[in-house]
Amino acid sequence: MANQSGCVYGLTILSPVIDDPKSDISHDCALRSYLATLPNGHHSPFAKISSTHMSRLVVMDDVVFVGVPAREEHLQSKYLVFESNLDGELEPYLTMMAQKTPEFVDAVWSHCVGYPGVRDVPAWIAYMKKCQIDTTFFFADVNTHTVQSTLKALRIQASVAHFIAEHQGLPAAELQAAFRDFFGRIKSMPDEEPGRHDAPGAHQVIPLNKSMAAHNG
Amino acid sequence: MTNINGKTYAMTAITPMKPWKTPILRLIFFILGHVKPLQAKLVNLSFIHFARWVVVPRRGFPRLAGSQPEEHLTYDYLLFFSNFNGTWNQYIDAFADVLSDGLNLIWRWSDKFPGARPVTAFKRYIALVQFDTDYYYTAYPRATTNDVKAAHRVCTALEDLGRNSAEMTPAQFSGAYLQFLTKVQKDLGSTGIGPIGT
Repeated sequence: MANQSGCVYGLTILSPVIDDPKSDISHDCALRSYLATLPNGHHSPFAKISSTHMSRLVVMDDVVFVGVPAREEHLQSKYLVFESNLDGELEPYLTMMAQKTPEFVDAVWSHCVGYPGVRDVPAWIAYMKKCQIDTTFFFADVNTHTVQSTLKALRIQASVAHFIAEHQGLPAAELQAAFRDFFGRIKSMPDEEPGRHDAPGAHQVIPLNKSMAAHNG
Repeated sequence: MTNINGKTYAMTAITPMKPWKTPILRLIFFILGHVKPLQAKLVNLSFIHFARWVVVPRRGFPRLAGSQPEEHLTYDYLLFFSNFNGTWNQYIDAFADVLSDGLNLIWRWSDKFPGARPVTAFKRYIALVQFDTDYYYTAYPRATTNDVKAAHRVCTALEDLGRNSAEMTPAQFSGAYLQFLTKVQKDLGSTGIGPIGT
């Protein structure tokens, strides 16, 4: 199935936005206004939906007219485009959205036609499936690792660089003991918080090994 | 509007296609999806986390209530989503340089597509059909695709060394550690704040 690449699922949702001429603020404007102030990084609602690698929300006002001789045409509704790249299967993901971020889901999809609310999870899932468009071709460069394993790998990468820099020139037995201790700590590492721009330890300056520098001129 | 989060750029584009051309494009994607060597250039570019093309048939826009007006479209539409590292210009330049044949194969079915080369006309076309992202999230904003791949390689090598290190003598460990360093040295670049792009 084209929605899946390895363990990553590519979700594409087009939800029609309500057109209500009687409302003070049009639903597309209200939606854009909400999205503009929605926190990002580790405070993002998607950080709570922890199997999200990357996702976006776009209000699509209309299709594009590319110029003559193409025909000019317009959509009758505006659509909210939700694109997400996630671990695993669709239904557990949508369930997680409903359970972990009900306020966010309500705030976004209450502007859309036919939204049944988030309290009734099966109805929410059925609604999203009605809005889903199957992916025709999906490419995921890294499709064998989950969000959490990638976050951990990035942390481990930084820690390994730090360990190497800090343990240069040690006698073999001491190095081995230090490595065993380090490896044990890596194994019991807690889960990483998704979305962080300031992940501790992620930005490392690796000191140059002076003896290697001297050796290489 | 926020197309950028950390080191990743979200591109969203939509192009019209005459409906009789859609099955041809679907066939091309089917072949691309099943013959993995055809994706080699895309993989080797190594700055795209995730990308997808989605064909929306002219009668395929979701209609969820009788009160929602029916769409009367004559074109099918091709949606393109990309999550890539670097700037808009770098992305399109690299795409046009490395994948011009592939891009032409995919977008030649869209109306008024000028071809991937020369790149000026191609950029003008993309700018016309692209629309801005209202909200963009990434779980690892400081990491590029190459960072992610390098980090996983370091983890695999570390796991191998760690698993075997308990039974080694210090001299054996010293040799294995040196081999480990040689193996991971190119993958120890740091992640961090992305450059300011366009």
